[in-house]
Amino acid sequence: MKYKLMKKNYLYVLSLLGISMLAGCATTPGACELAAERNLDSAFINAKAKLADGCEAHFDSYFDQLLGVAAGDPQPANKQKFSDFLGWSADEGILSRRQAQKLYNRYFNVKFMALAGDYNNCAQTCPRKTRVLTAMEAELTDKERGLVKVSQDPASYYRADRLFQETELVLEATCTACANR
Amino acid sequence: MNVSTPMPMRRRHVRVAALIPLGAILAMSLTLITPARSDTAGGPTIRLFPTSVLEDIKETGYVAEEMETGLQDVIARMDQQSQLYQDSKCDGAEGDPGCGRIAKQLGATYLEMLNVMNERLPDMERAVNATRNSLEKRLRGELGQKMTSWTLQENLLGNTPAGNASPAPRMRGRSGMRLSQRFQQYYQLVASSGAGASNQSMAVVASDIYLDMNEASELIARTQEEIGRATLMEQLNQSFGTITPEMQQVVDGVKSILFGDSEAPYQVAGPPPGSEEKPYKSPLEM
Repeated sequence: MKYKLMKKNYLYVLSLLGISMLAGCATTPGACELAAERNLDSAFINAKAKLADGCEAHFDSYFDQLLGVAAGDPQPANKQKFSDFLGWSADEGILSRRQAQKLYNRYFNVKFMALAGDYNNCAQTCPRKTRVLTAMEAELTDKERGLVKVSQDPASYYRADRLFQETELVLEATCTACANR
Repeated sequence: MNVSTPMPMRRRHVRVAALIPLGAILAMSLTLITPARSDTAGGPTIRLFPTSVLEDIKETGYVAEEMETGLQDVIARMDQQSQLYQDSKCDGAEGDPGCGRIAKQLGATYLEMLNVMNERLPDMERAVNATRNSLEKRLRGELGQKMTSWTLQENLLGNTPAGNASPAPRMRGRSGMRLSQRFQQYYQLVASSGAGASNQSMAVVASDIYLDMNEASELIARTQEEIGRATLMEQLNQSFGTITPEMQQVVDGVKSILFGDSEAPYQVAGPPPGSEEKPYKSPLEM
């Protein structure tokens, strides 16, 4: 009985060791860390290399760091660089095409992904109007980062800001009308 | 109807007398609104201002204009009497027979103002409610039931690419702008829309008018309740010939709406001029 229990524990420890070995160098502490880089192109190359080398789980962190690097040298061309990077990530299967689109549009487009919906406003948007507007506000902060700080495109950011205000007004009226049926 | 871009944002608080000049400007703008314009931005065509809605707005405009005209005359007289009261240094001289007479005249004019409002308000209430109801129906049908949140934002964006954005709208609650000036903006918007040059959104205009009508309707009901009480109070005051702070406050409120304040309109920074180059369009863009 005692022997059986010891054997079971031994096998358990062995299997844990095996799993950690299989995970390989990618999960070694520091292996997925992105080197500090000021050049955006080099940072993209590094990020792609890490992602291709088993560090897919760090995608969000890389994306955030890349935005930080880009903010150090803001220019309109950065939009395309991020688009290419997200397109590559989708091609490599790191993100779905839909996720790539959502991320790109959240940061670099005037339109709000928070307003993505398939059903009519009375039925879908109005019951969760506050949540939608809160999500839009959060998205607007990301748009400020993507459009102003990274892409130097304040005009698009101002348009997004205005769209947010207009949506707030129109939803207030529309949802009042829907409720007064 | 062309649904594309921005307009002034909503005011959070409307004073009782805010409904007064609304109609005059509305009536003016109506002459240029044509029913059921098609959407030049390529989005779905929406009909927010069909003939029935326009007729209701027109009627509200006439009724409000009549009320405004009637009140302007009374308020001008009150202004003169109030000036005379101050010039005669009647403040704190309630015992003076001359000052007492001026105060009574002022009180009588105030009662006249309340009477004008009392006479006109039922018509105003009917007109405002009719406009509100017809706009409500259009908003519910066209924006609430025919559109998703995504198509709504596409309509709001319409034909204004980011680089060509017109100056940003003011938040009505923060601007301190008079309602009549606001409707002058509507007028300009509708006028340019009629010429096919507008990039303003009819959805925003309709929403703004609807919410104003909603507030106006509530305020009319409250005002009607208050008029009876205020009339009684002033009739009592007539016996003593005093000018109450409440009376002065009501008059000041009505005056500021009718004649406006001298405050310079608050300007929100507009976007910088767009780049000459064609902006980058990502294949991921939706």
